[in-house]
Amino acid sequence: FKTAVVKAKINNVLKEELSNMFYNPEEIPYVTKKIAEAIKTRVKECAFDRYKLVVQVVIGEQRGEGVKMAARCFWDADTDNFAQAVYMNESLFCVAAAFGCYYY
Amino acid sequence: MKPSKMKTKEDTWKSDELLKHIKAAQGDHADDSSKKSRERKRHKDEESVGTSDSREHRHRGRERDKEREQGKERVRNKDKERDGDRHKEQEHEKVRKKKNDERERDREQKQERERERHNDRDRDKERVQKWDIDQEHSTDPRVRIKDKEWDTYAEKHTKRGHESERHRDKERDRKKERDKLQEKGTEKDENGNQRPKHRQKKDKENLELEMDEKYERKERKHRERKEKEGKSTENNEETKEKKRRPSEFRDEDYDRRYKEHKDHGPHDGHREKREKERREPGQKAGIEEMERKHRVRKDKEDGKKQRHKDIKDSAVEWKDREWEHKDREKRDWERKEEPQRKHKHKVKKERDEKERRGDYTEEQSVKRKKERRSIQETTSESKRKGSTKEQIDSQKKPTETLTEEFVEGEEIAMESQSTIESSNYDNDFEDYEDDFEEGDCEDEEVEQEREEIPARQRAELEAIQKAITAENEQVRETRTRSHRKTFNEEPNRDFENSQTRGPARGTFIDFAAAKQREIISKVASKQKKRSLELLRLIDLDFSVSFSLLDLPPLNEYDVYIKNFGRTNTKQAFVQCNEDNVDRDIQTDEIETVEKWTQHPGEGNLICGGLLKCGANVSDALSSVAKNVDSRRLTNFLRSACQVISVLLEEEQAENQASKNLQSKAASLSVSDGCSQLNTNLAFLHGREVLCLHFSPVQRQILLSIHSLPKEPGVVQLASSYMVCVWNIWEPSAPQKVLVCESEVQCCCFGPDNVISLFAGTTDGSVVAWDLREHSIMHCSLQIGGQEWTFRTPTFSTDGVLTVVNHSCAVKAVYPVSSACFDNPGVGLSLFSSQEGRSGLSFQLATLDESGLLNLWVVVELQKADFAGSLTDLGLIPGGKIKLIHSSSIEVNSFLPRNLVQLGSPKTLSIRFLPSDPNHFFIGTDIGLVSHGTRHGLQAAPKLYKPQINGARPVQVTCIDFCHFGKTLFLVGCSDGTIRLHSVITERPIIQWNDSTQGRPIRAVAWALTRPGMFFVLDSASHIYVWDLLQNVSTPAAEESLQPDRITAIALLGDPEKPGASSGLMLAMQTGAIEIQYLMKHWSEPHLNELETLHYILQKTA
Repeated sequence: FKTAVVKAKINNVLKEELSNMFYNPEEIPYVTKKIAEAIKTRVKECAFDRYKLVVQVVIGEQRGEGVKMAARCFWDADTDNFAQAVYMNESLFCVAAAFGCYYY
Repeated sequence: MKPSKMKTKEDTWKSDELLKHIKAAQGDHADDSSKKSRERKRHKDEESVGTSDSREHRHRGRERDKEREQGKERVRNKDKERDGDRHKEQEHEKVRKKKNDERERDREQKQERERERHNDRDRDKERVQKWDIDQEHSTDPRVRIKDKEWDTYAEKHTKRGHESERHRDKERDRKKERDKLQEKGTEKDENGNQRPKHRQKKDKENLELEMDEKYERKERKHRERKEKEGKSTENNEETKEKKRRPSEFRDEDYDRRYKEHKDHGPHDGHREKREKERREPGQKAGIEEMERKHRVRKDKEDGKKQRHKDIKDSAVEWKDREWEHKDREKRDWERKEEPQRKHKHKVKKERDEKERRGDYTEEQSVKRKKERRSIQETTSESKRKGSTKEQIDSQKKPTETLTEEFVEGEEIAMESQSTIESSNYDNDFEDYEDDFEEGDCEDEEVEQEREEIPARQRAELEAIQKAITAENEQVRETRTRSHRKTFNEEPNRDFENSQTRGPARGTFIDFAAAKQREIISKVASKQKKRSLELLRLIDLDFSVSFSLLDLPPLNEYDVYIKNFGRTNTKQAFVQCNEDNVDRDIQTDEIETVEKWTQHPGEGNLICGGLLKCGANVSDALSSVAKNVDSRRLTNFLRSACQVISVLLEEEQAENQASKNLQSKAASLSVSDGCSQLNTNLAFLHGREVLCLHFSPVQRQILLSIHSLPKEPGVVQLASSYMVCVWNIWEPSAPQKVLVCESEVQCCCFGPDNVISLFAGTTDGSVVAWDLREHSIMHCSLQIGGQEWTFRTPTFSTDGVLTVVNHSCAVKAVYPVSSACFDNPGVGLSLFSSQEGRSGLSFQLATLDESGLLNLWVVVELQKADFAGSLTDLGLIPGGKIKLIHSSSIEVNSFLPRNLVQLGSPKTLSIRFLPSDPNHFFIGTDIGLVSHGTRHGLQAAPKLYKPQINGARPVQVTCIDFCHFGKTLFLVGCSDGTIRLHSVITERPIIQWNDSTQGRPIRAVAWALTRPGMFFVLDSASHIYVWDLLQNVSTPAAEESLQPDRITAIALLGDPEKPGASSGLMLAMQTGAIEIQYLMKHWSEPHLNELETLHYILQKTA
């Protein structure tokens, strides 16, 4: 699971989907799902055949509040990995993380 | 996995529910028993309608059951399939239910449910049959082959109806129970404790009874399976065995049930009795209630039955259906097609029913519909074959028992688990028995919901069939898994549940499904093994946590900037202290105003500023300086200031003191009024006035020399001589006060103006004052509530220029106008010339006692040096006037030798010839006036002598030139003689010897307005007024002022303006200064007075 590659992909997706986007509480849920799906398909293209993918997308509004997000995984650190990218503009921030678990 | 799980749960409950029923039958639980008794009552009622039928049916059933035992396996398989079908159906229908907007679908579902019911019925019937076989093969050896299938069908129907009824009842009961539960919470707990024991007992019995049969069946099944699945491993075999086991249990259960059933017999009374018996050992408390319920139920069912009687009309149809059913039974293995037919049939039937009973709408409660239908079926069937109700009723208990037996295998796990699940499922039920009921109920409800949908359509039947098939397969799968798991002794909850479901559903044995299950289980086990092995190798950890996002909160400033930035504005900042870029040091801008000042004050502008545009202060100043002719301005200001002050003084004088002044006029006969200068000042108090002197240019400006005070009034000034500059029109105070350390013998103004003042002192120094100097250059004292500036000399020759300076007292200071050199013959008098001569470039002559005449050049410096000059030590810092020694003349050299031999005479006074400043006349102490020139040839006559020859020790005290004619001068001597000389003759024209009775002459003064008049002051303070035109020999008037002594006189008046007021200034010894205004006839000149004077003088001479 190449973090750099996946991260680049995620970044691309985020840029495509979120550029010129403003935070709208009604449509954000759909956008979130859409992005998650997009990331999943993109990452699948990378041919990590033996990996199970988990994609998590969080979009929040930028209001000046502090945000901390963390993830903890119960996995085999030798094979499993994750990639994460953050996109921010004036009205929102988006954190997308893709976790890859090797399937024996 | 989830749906199957759900199902498993439900199944479990079903079995458990049965269990509960068993218990109820034993009379442990009042509620259960009551439920059952209710049901039984209902059955009884029904049976009463067709007792014979039911009995018959039972018999038939028994016979058939016997046969059935031989083909049990087949049946079992069938059942299994059916069971699976049902499950699948349920699943599908659940899904469909959600979509069921259309009527057709509703109908379909109904059909399905009906079909299901058929299946159920079949199963039930089978159960009954088995039971019969097991229990009654000895007693009922008859084999009814032809009726067998029909019987089965009928039984199924009955059973189905019964079951549904039972479910309904249960539902109702449960509701009641729920209510009761809260009331009987404690009771239940007790019951709960008792229950397990009962169950165990029963299980044991069952086990003993059925041991043999079980074993046989097991072996048989095992063999069959092996044939089918040759590849299956030993594990699988085991699994198979286990799988089989439930079904065996089932069979055993059936046997038992049947036995019980037989015992009870078909008679209602008998059954009731039994019920009672059961109840009695348990709880008698619930009996009454139960009975009540029974009654209620009975009533209800009676009503329903009546309704059903109407349906008898459709007996033909029923028969057809029966026939069909028989057919279907024959095609036992082609089951899939049968449901269709069956359904068709049922649909028809139900449509008819609907048509018949319009009152029954679709919206009517599911329960009721179901009830109706089931009752219909029951009735119809009972008519045909006699009621199977008895059988069914009795079956119930055995079924429960069977289920329980099966469950016993995993008893503990099951119980605990079911409890857990039940608690999850429905919190209202504290007992797991209740929960089982709940699960059952839910199954029923699902069915009911399906029934609710009224519309039926054939078109979708096929789809449903498919779904059923799929469901069957799924069920098979789950079963296999569950079995395997159980036997591998891996206590997985899900698997256990699924395992229990199979038995609960009863007699469904499917080898194909089993095979599949086996395969799946194999794979699963492989996977499991693999995973186990892998897990050993893989380290799973969650020690590391990843930070996905850390977005710090904005601080206040950022928020501000964010908001600020949106308003389309810019932010800038200014800091005055540029190198201190720290917020704490920032300060407000300091307001500044430019002002300037200068010390010592030079000129009229000493301070400034407060201009509106501060930046241009310097420019504005320069421009102001450029635009304003400062000299003119200062001149104007000075004069204007004087004028204004004079005007103010006059007004004041007029107001208050005019009378006083006028009153004093009487003191002099020649005067018609007088006024006094205010010398009553602290610093002037007690000082004798030594000398008075009018400015030749500005006649109203008077200076007075004050001696040291007799008693010191102002300490600081006690040792200083003072010179006051007065304006006689401003008598209240002197304009300027000058101080000098040494005694001032004489003093004078500059020739052309009053801006400079010179004085000679007794110690031989010549001092000069620049009256333009600002007061701040000099020391100021606060005296008498008023601030006075005491001006120190601007320049002093004291201590400097010692080579050329006077070594003895300076007796006279006299300015020499340089203009006179330019125009020697112009004008009558140098002093009278009013031509403005700019600057201070003039000569000053000073004469000391020893006869040394010094000529000084008065130089005005262009720029003041406030630091003090290094070269001009006599100049005070900032002073602008200095004296430069020009030349020295030894006056005594002009005197004849014979006079000099006696000793050098003292020179006492000096006068310059007004028309020619080159000539000077010096009075000596030998009674002679020497005549000299500053340069050029010696002028004649050298000496002016008295009429009586020779030199006498007589001091020439004063010399005064007549302002008219320019050639006459008066000489006053200390012996009291007055001589009138002409400059061209050595001897005097007229000499008066005793005019003053020998008293020394202090001063002589020509009148300024009249040529033939002069004033004489003697030492006795007598003033003599001479009018030569009137009387040549004696004075015209003689005045004496008492008691004060007059020390000095000066004449006020302007020779060129005879009409102006003229007066006599008198300085008193006490320090007072008086102005005596001359009367008009004394001051106004006569016609041709000067010529007359000349004539008189010539005649006199």
